[in-house]
Amino acid sequence: MGLILREKAEHLATFRWLEVYLMETLAGWVPTTREMEVKVLMGRHIWDAAQHADALGKRTFELRAPLHYTLPPLPLHLNMMNELAAVEDTAGRLQAVYDVILPGLAARYQQYLRNSDPLLDEPSFRVIEGILNDYARMRKESEEVRAELRETLVFDAERAQRWSRQENAINDFVVQGSGSTLAREASA
Amino acid sequence: MTASAKRKTVQGVTLCADPAREDCFLVAQLDSEMQKFENGMSEDARREKLHRHMNNEMGALEIAAQCLADFPEAPWELRMQLARQAFDESRHVRALHQRLRQLGGYKGEFPIGNFEWAVTNVCDTLAARLAIQNRTFEAGQMDLLGALRQIWRSVGDERTAEVLEHILADEINHVRFANQWIRKLIQADRRLLLKVASAVRFLADTNAVLAGESAAESAETSSAQHKKLGINVEDRRHADFSDDEINEILRQAGMSSLASAGAQA
Repeated sequence: MGLILREKAEHLATFRWLEVYLMETLAGWVPTTREMEVKVLMGRHIWDAAQHADALGKRTFELRAPLHYTLPPLPLHLNMMNELAAVEDTAGRLQAVYDVILPGLAARYQQYLRNSDPLLDEPSFRVIEGILNDYARMRKESEEVRAELRETLVFDAERAQRWSRQENAINDFVVQGSGSTLAREASA
Repeated sequence: MTASAKRKTVQGVTLCADPAREDCFLVAQLDSEMQKFENGMSEDARREKLHRHMNNEMGALEIAAQCLADFPEAPWELRMQLARQAFDESRHVRALHQRLRQLGGYKGEFPIGNFEWAVTNVCDTLAARLAIQNRTFEAGQMDLLGALRQIWRSVGDERTAEVLEHILADEINHVRFANQWIRKLIQADRRLLLKVASAVRFLADTNAVLAGESAAESAETSSAQHKKLGINVEDRRHADFSDDEINEILRQAGMSSLASAGAQA
């Protein structure tokens, strides 16, 4: 069954929270990551995440929610994000973002598209399709950096697979509100 | 503990501890530890300039990113500007690294310093960090780049001149948004003015101590450098400095006679 208008706003508000969280995580990692090429990669993608959050936040307003409406995900997903944001080694950080967070988010965006109407909700489709294209570019750029640093970084494949399994096991991630619509006055 | 909360002491001054760097880099704490060349545009000197600039851009990336991490409550439009700045500085690092390699250089070839990061991140307000990093360091770089691109051209290095020209265009935007947001933030909270003034004073004092000069000597050195390279009046105007502010900068640089003419040029 498709999402009702309120649920669409709540999904986009949660996606917005996740994009802001990604932006802040990358931002916090830039000064504490040693490798220059990785700092540069993260610096580029801070701007991608910011633009995604901005577009989603503008779209929530069009769905009768506040401008830049933002909702944290449910605790299980929130804990998963916090666990990944706490990773300290460069290889682990690259895996956390490009092998776990982005593919996981991409799957959730695609699930949203399957549950929405491509005509009535076309503006959301445009935003999300743009984000998915960006994700593909971002992952490609991370592969290029990994190739460049293959002699200095050691990747623990088992750890990344464990994170991915954990992420995939979380189905519900959006906090459901009450009522059929959201008032613009609701706190952002 | 976030990267901006860690501290180090240099010559008795408490500063923010250095950001992470690869082992190939030798991190200098004082200007005297940096490598200098008699002939300012010899092949070695050119690579050193690019290497130093590359690390400065890495520092600018780190400072913008740290502002995003440290001030989640800042207005969203300002955070967007900082995110954009992080992207721009990343491209600058890449472009300079690429040019450095084309000229036979490599990461870690010369010592580097993280002075801008160390001073800026001691400030505990976003307005003060913008005043130090964007409005002071980056605006100073605008003056420098205005002159340097011509110097590179004069030795026949058109590619480096082109890189610097594009970096300059981006820096103007970073200085402009900082000028505009500092005004807005201070309008909303007048107490920030004191924080900004203290930060600028701290920068001047630290500069003097680390250069081994008195504050007056430090001002003289800065004035002499500005006389040599000039003030980039046109781009400062693009970056939303007022005529009064530009006149004051010209006066401090010992160019009082140009002040009235410069502001009207």
